[in-house]
Amino acid sequence: MTRRLAVISAGVGTPSSSRLLADRITDAVRSQVGARGEDVRVDVIEVRELAASLATMTTAAGLPIAEVEHAHDIVRTADGVVAVTPVFSASYAGIFKMFWDTFQPDDLDGIPVLIGATAGTPRHSLVLDHAMRPLFTYFRMRVVPTGVFAATEDFGAGAGGEQLTRRIVRAATELAGLMVTTADAVEGFVPTGPAAHGNRGARSNVRDGYDISSITPFTHLLAGHDGN
Amino acid sequence: MQFGVFTIGDVTPDPATGRAPTEHERILSMMAIAEHAEEVGLDVFATGEHHNPPFVPSSPTTMLGYLAGRTKNIVLSTSTTLITTNDPVKIAEDYAMLQHLAGGRVDLMMGRGNTGPVYPWFGKDIRQGIPLAIENYHLLRRLWREPVVDWKGEFRTPLRGYTSTPAPLDDTPPFVWHGSIRSPEIAEQAAFYGDGFFHNNIFWDKGHVAQMVDFYRQRFEHYGHGRADQAIVGLGGQVFMRRNSQDAVREFRPYFDNAPVYGHGPSLEEYMNLTPLTAGSPQQVIEKYLTYADVVGDYQRQLFLMDHAGLPLTTVLEQIDLLAEEVVPVLRREFEARRPADVPSDPPTHASLVAQGPEGRHHLVQPATLPEDRTATGHTGAETTTRENA
Repeated sequence: MTRRLAVISAGVGTPSSSRLLADRITDAVRSQVGARGEDVRVDVIEVRELAASLATMTTAAGLPIAEVEHAHDIVRTADGVVAVTPVFSASYAGIFKMFWDTFQPDDLDGIPVLIGATAGTPRHSLVLDHAMRPLFTYFRMRVVPTGVFAATEDFGAGAGGEQLTRRIVRAATELAGLMVTTADAVEGFVPTGPAAHGNRGARSNVRDGYDISSITPFTHLLAGHDGN
Repeated sequence: MQFGVFTIGDVTPDPATGRAPTEHERILSMMAIAEHAEEVGLDVFATGEHHNPPFVPSSPTTMLGYLAGRTKNIVLSTSTTLITTNDPVKIAEDYAMLQHLAGGRVDLMMGRGNTGPVYPWFGKDIRQGIPLAIENYHLLRRLWREPVVDWKGEFRTPLRGYTSTPAPLDDTPPFVWHGSIRSPEIAEQAAFYGDGFFHNNIFWDKGHVAQMVDFYRQRFEHYGHGRADQAIVGLGGQVFMRRNSQDAVREFRPYFDNAPVYGHGPSLEEYMNLTPLTAGSPQQVIEKYLTYADVVGDYQRQLFLMDHAGLPLTTVLEQIDLLAEEVVPVLRREFEARRPADVPSDPPTHASLVAQGPEGRHHLVQPATLPEDRTATGHTGAETTTRENA
């Protein structure tokens, strides 16, 4: 079965070291999922290309814009996400946050995510745990324990580079493990329905439009509200 | 098909002069706009309800009551009445009173409101928006349909032996629309009761509009009110016209660029591309709005937002003239030409609902019939009585 990996890179330059890191992580995830006997389909989202649309959407009461909606669909249907941002002013890049701000709070429930960041110096490495991890915890995504931080010097030879490779493999292994897990449970032994949201196996996935089979009938909505 | 104007009542400085009207001026200008809409033969005037600046229309029934006395034909509506933060008992009474004063020319549109703090200001929890809309509206239906109501709900003081006064005119409650932009629960609610669904699409693209309306239509059929294509649909829109399209764009651009709802974000061109907003010639407006029948199917009501973004009153009145003289007659003709004979042209009116008599489905608290009930009893509807429900 093909697993879907969504890669979000918020680098602002070309070439971008965030994209470079994202690509290395992607390759590692691909081989780790492959090692578990599964195939991977990768969709890469360059947030920079959406910057103007994100600004429009954010300032225009959520006006849906096709290319942003398309990116949303990619992320919401993914079995795993790799999210990489450069560090600006002690946190993630503004456009990185803007991208996530356009999601609804329950869009991303339970999706595993691997966080990565790049910066000029290793002193920014806490951005992973002080900024990115809380952001994705808010979305109730499953943030893998290992984050991947790359300072400029890590792209060279030397000890830093070696350690980066090891961290990438470790994080990719963690993500791949979550991506191939099926969370299905024996019927009747776990709560079902809305309470079971967040369970990736039971996740009826993606509010891809208003699927009539997934709607709560009004008689259920009205239950307890009919004043009797 | 009904055509009309709806206002949000924003007090916005005119970028040409830098001057904002006073609240008093703005309120009187809204009344002038409504009266002008009647003079030029439009079918509906609707007002929003807001409880925070820069908006003035906090008290729709006062405004509409004044208009009821000053007009003869135009349907007076809201866009929207806040079903979440208003007491449904007061809504039942206020709008029944209005309905009497207006000789039945009243319908109303329920909405949840678009300003977060309005919930706590009125003692409500915004996270309960949908349950509030569901419970409050159901109580409203009962108050308008049952002479004496006993009620115990989650959100309001219980009622024991309560009679809402006055009873609706001719014992026939007003027709209700449910306005929503993106909540399928509200489309579902409209479908359940067989009420109208108004998609206020002024900030939304056609794909989303089509999806929401289509969902409402399918559920309307599911609940046994008729075929999906016979459901009662309304849309919003906003236009600015000059004979020459370049003049329209040039004149409207500073208003767009500085308007609180649009300004400082997307360009006018982007916005026009994505939403119903049209700054151009009457012909361009006609062409764009004709496409909406392809998007949502044959629909029954089109409301235009004309008086926003600081446009001066004289300009708004000219716009309404252009709308009524050049746009509406063509749209009306074209929409009617494509409409199948068994798809209603107009939403229900007071006269049509009275004509259905007290046994009409509109008089039921729960008019929906589920497919399983229909096959079990062999009936096609109208079997859920108010008595069962009481």
